[in-house]
Amino acid sequence: MGQYGIGQPIRRKEDARLLTGNGRYTDDVNLDGQAYVYFLRSPYAHAKINEIGLADALAASGVIAIYTSADLIADGVKPIPCEANAKSLKGVPLFKPPRHALAFERVRYAGEPVAMIIAETYNEARDASELIQIDYEELPAVADTSRLADADAPVVWDDLDSNVGLHWETQESAVSEAIFKTAYKTVELDLLNNRLVGNPMEPRCAVSHHDAQTGRTTLYAPSQGGRRVINAIAKDILNVPPQSLRMVSLDTGGGFGIRSKTYPELVLMVWAARKQPRALKWRADRGETFVSDAHGRDQSTKASAAFDKDGKILAVRNETIVNVGAYLSENGAILAMMGGGKIMGTAYDVPVLYFSVKSCFSNTVPTDTYRGAGRPEVNFIMERLIELGAEAFGISSIEMRKRNFIREFPYKTQMGCLIDSGDFPGTLDMTLEKGDYAGFEARKAESKARGKLRGIGIGYYVEGAGGRPFEEMRVRFEKDGKVKIFAGTFSHGQGHDTVYSQLLNEYLGVDASKVELIQGDSDTSPKGAVGTFGSRSSMMGGVAIKRASEAIVEKGKKIAGHLMQTEPTKVTFKDGVFHGGSSSVTLEEVARAAQDPSKLPEGLEGPLDESYYYERQGESQNFPNGCHLIEAEVDPDTGTVEIVKFTAIDDCGTVLNPLIVDGQVLGGIAQGIGQALVENTVFDNETGQLLTASFMDYGMPRASDFPMIGIYFNSVPSPTNDLGVKGAGEAGACGAPPALVHAALDALKGYGIRHIDMPLTPEKVWRAIQAAKSGKAA
Amino acid sequence: MAKISMKVNGKTVSGDVEPRTLLVQFIREHLGLTGTHVGCDTSQCGACNVHYNGEAIKSCTILAVQADGSEVVTIEGLAKPDGTLHPMQAAFREYHGLQCGYCTPGMVMVAVDIARRLPGADEETVREELYGNICRCTGYQGIVEAVMAGSEAMQTGVLPLKEHH
Amino acid sequence: MDMSGEQRIPAPQQAVWDALFDPEVLKLCIPGCDSVEKVSDTQFTAKVVVAVGPVKAKFAGEVALEELNAPNNCTINGKGSGGIAGFGKGNAKVELSTEGNETILKYTANASVGGKLAQIGARLVDSTAKKLADEFFKRFVKLMTDRAAAGA
Repeated sequence: MGQYGIGQPIRRKEDARLLTGNGRYTDDVNLDGQAYVYFLRSPYAHAKINEIGLADALAASGVIAIYTSADLIADGVKPIPCEANAKSLKGVPLFKPPRHALAFERVRYAGEPVAMIIAETYNEARDASELIQIDYEELPAVADTSRLADADAPVVWDDLDSNVGLHWETQESAVSEAIFKTAYKTVELDLLNNRLVGNPMEPRCAVSHHDAQTGRTTLYAPSQGGRRVINAIAKDILNVPPQSLRMVSLDTGGGFGIRSKTYPELVLMVWAARKQPRALKWRADRGETFVSDAHGRDQSTKASAAFDKDGKILAVRNETIVNVGAYLSENGAILAMMGGGKIMGTAYDVPVLYFSVKSCFSNTVPTDTYRGAGRPEVNFIMERLIELGAEAFGISSIEMRKRNFIREFPYKTQMGCLIDSGDFPGTLDMTLEKGDYAGFEARKAESKARGKLRGIGIGYYVEGAGGRPFEEMRVRFEKDGKVKIFAGTFSHGQGHDTVYSQLLNEYLGVDASKVELIQGDSDTSPKGAVGTFGSRSSMMGGVAIKRASEAIVEKGKKIAGHLMQTEPTKVTFKDGVFHGGSSSVTLEEVARAAQDPSKLPEGLEGPLDESYYYERQGESQNFPNGCHLIEAEVDPDTGTVEIVKFTAIDDCGTVLNPLIVDGQVLGGIAQGIGQALVENTVFDNETGQLLTASFMDYGMPRASDFPMIGIYFNSVPSPTNDLGVKGAGEAGACGAPPALVHAALDALKGYGIRHIDMPLTPEKVWRAIQAAKSGKAA
Repeated sequence: MAKISMKVNGKTVSGDVEPRTLLVQFIREHLGLTGTHVGCDTSQCGACNVHYNGEAIKSCTILAVQADGSEVVTIEGLAKPDGTLHPMQAAFREYHGLQCGYCTPGMVMVAVDIARRLPGADEETVREELYGNICRCTGYQGIVEAVMAGSEAMQTGVLPLKEHH
Repeated sequence: MDMSGEQRIPAPQQAVWDALFDPEVLKLCIPGCDSVEKVSDTQFTAKVVVAVGPVKAKFAGEVALEELNAPNNCTINGKGSGGIAGFGKGNAKVELSTEGNETILKYTANASVGGKLAQIGARLVDSTAKKLADEFFKRFVKLMTDRAAAGA
């Protein structure tokens, strides 16, 4: 309702605090008498640990304790579990190697924690780590994704005879092959979805302490909702009652999927706190953050499409190798099919799909869900196939898209996702209009006059948002007139305080200034708390708030009826006021009455305090989609690719707050452009060493990498949730990469360059130009 | 240990520090001003920007002892004591120039510096000037708009409001 | 990382050979060297401080001489641990020959690094190694020249 309700670009409630230095992040927590933790990490990508000598280190100044995997095992600490499950067609399950929080017998990636040092000061802990003598016996390492499944590749886990931990595939191999044999035209492409490092700006950090009197241990650490993390540590790893552990996430400096994991360091901080009388603090620097956060993407794919004579897709084949790293992080082995495969085909009608994923181990940092988690990968693949198809038929890629767009909803993808709604042709047309597609040739000529090659590229994407299908939210009216939301979701930049306040304003007429968001504390978050990832907070948390609000109104009607001497069934509620006959009473008054048993009808207890555990119908998701249009200029002498025009039309369903949705889309776009243009995680393929573990070596997108981006919506409300929302968080990361690559390839059309793998660094583009030139000369 | 003294946010402060203490460590750990953040270890990210004798610097690039006798302003020193936001802070809020808030203090300190040095700077200049500050959340668009609008507000006293499509 | 080079040293081949494996000489010539100790005729340990870009570390290393063919050629294998900075390892083939009253020293070497050194210093390893080699030979040639002058 009104100025603070749904659809308004409300400025964020969070901002004043964060803008004045009053945010409180984990590194701002210092507990009395805290000792400091340093993790000694393996310098080898693959080595046998013959012996660990601690004597000198233990004798060093300030050292309190040093732990290795032997201590964990002696204490009965279990490896970190991987919940993901999948089987091959023949029924062979995913191989799940044990991941001990500290390396056990072998190290399998450079950066793997080997010892935990606790000392009086951080410097003493670090200095002592230098005195630990480890006899490593180096073993052959493997890092190169496209090589992982090869017969001659070094094997990471001896239990397997190769690095393939799972070969998952659909049944359509033979059927699709037959279609390819008789198809009018086919196209094929090998491509990489380059490994990315999420790099939230807040480095890894944790503080822990154990209260001997209560027997409870508290862990402070950034997360995306700590309930699942702390439960896993309690139940699956330490085998202690969940109520004996508490996790608190304060302000969290970015998450992007990777900060939702049960990391070894978090396990160790809890476990060690229970052995030490002191509070503990660990703070990673950026270099350590690079090797201790899970990485994203890293897939090598062979993809092909078969078309009939009208350019209609008959079948798609997709064979992907996923580099899961040395151990299984939560969803690393299944995100390619459960995140990506489910929506494969994306915006297009694909009648037959063969989708194969080999989840392979390597001597690298484990990979897992990072902004989009499988969806950016398949969108990139599908968009490349559409472009190549258009080329094969000699038609525009716009025409190709239109011939294949899904036009009727719901549409069931080959892997069983029900795409609920959308207006794909309309969104494409709107993009062309807003992006002045018609004026491109003139701009291209103008660029040419300046010696630049200008190209235009489209990326149409479909995202599958929602993550886990349940979430709980609680709304409670307090004595002082405040309304607290106890959230199962966890805002770490998404502005939930603002948007949830808007919802309470819309449904209950509550003034936003009275709303207080309580989140991130496992002691106060609802039992059914899940967290924030997979662009799920509005569709899960938002819907739960709406329904909790409805329960408040229902209860409120009974109290209001009692106060107004009216039959509750005759009480109505509008804009924060209950009406009955000629009387009325405000929700505020009802809430106050609810605190006073004498004012309540018989059998009713106060206060107004309702939780709603929302369980989505099955796995049904919603499907944000949209079209990104990029114009890029390539400098033929240097290979530099510069984005000069960017238009994005997104269908994020009902927009609750356009300011915030714009921000989510733009943030996703920036990470998508990062993948396409500058971000590359480089391992030495011989030694498995990570060579890009600082902001000097790893390209982070900067302000100067972007033009002003035109953001517009073509909203089709989702019919699958009460709010009509579609998750906006990961959309941009899906649309931007194909649009950028297509723009660059369009600019390079004259050279006949068919494909360049991301990121399109100047060197790669320059080399492609030189190769094309010399190819022509030859 | 070395004894140092400086003016931070208008107040004289002093402390005993190890010579290797960085200015940012002194600000965060000795003074407890935790609004200044550390986001990297190679002076790339800019989260630790403060004003040092009137200019924006990355406070991880100098030692606390070097700052002896200097005048430092941190993010905590920008708003008025009554809580009224500095025009640049207000601009960041108006243009959604922040999400998680971690890079924000450094961004705002640099933004104020840009506005002072280059009043009326155009979009391209602002983007170039922000090269030393990394944000992972916003895609920079809101930040760039905020810097331009905040710069105008610092000159005219009026913050142009964001228009919505 | 691979590199190779050639140096002309104004001293007899045997004197160059002896000096190359003299701990005192090595200590003087290796940039950042704290100590060199001879464990056996073919084994040394050394402590050296090396900075690769922003990473500076004290390396404790072991050096082993193999395929010794005095005073003509040998292979030198080394590996060193730089604590939390990581490790470095490498080998070099050294060949001496006489030309007039000078000795020609030819070498080919390769080296690799791991851990933090690789993570944030990989780009700089080549240039650092080259700089260290240049500095070593500059000092070595000067020392041999001085010795020759003193002996003459």
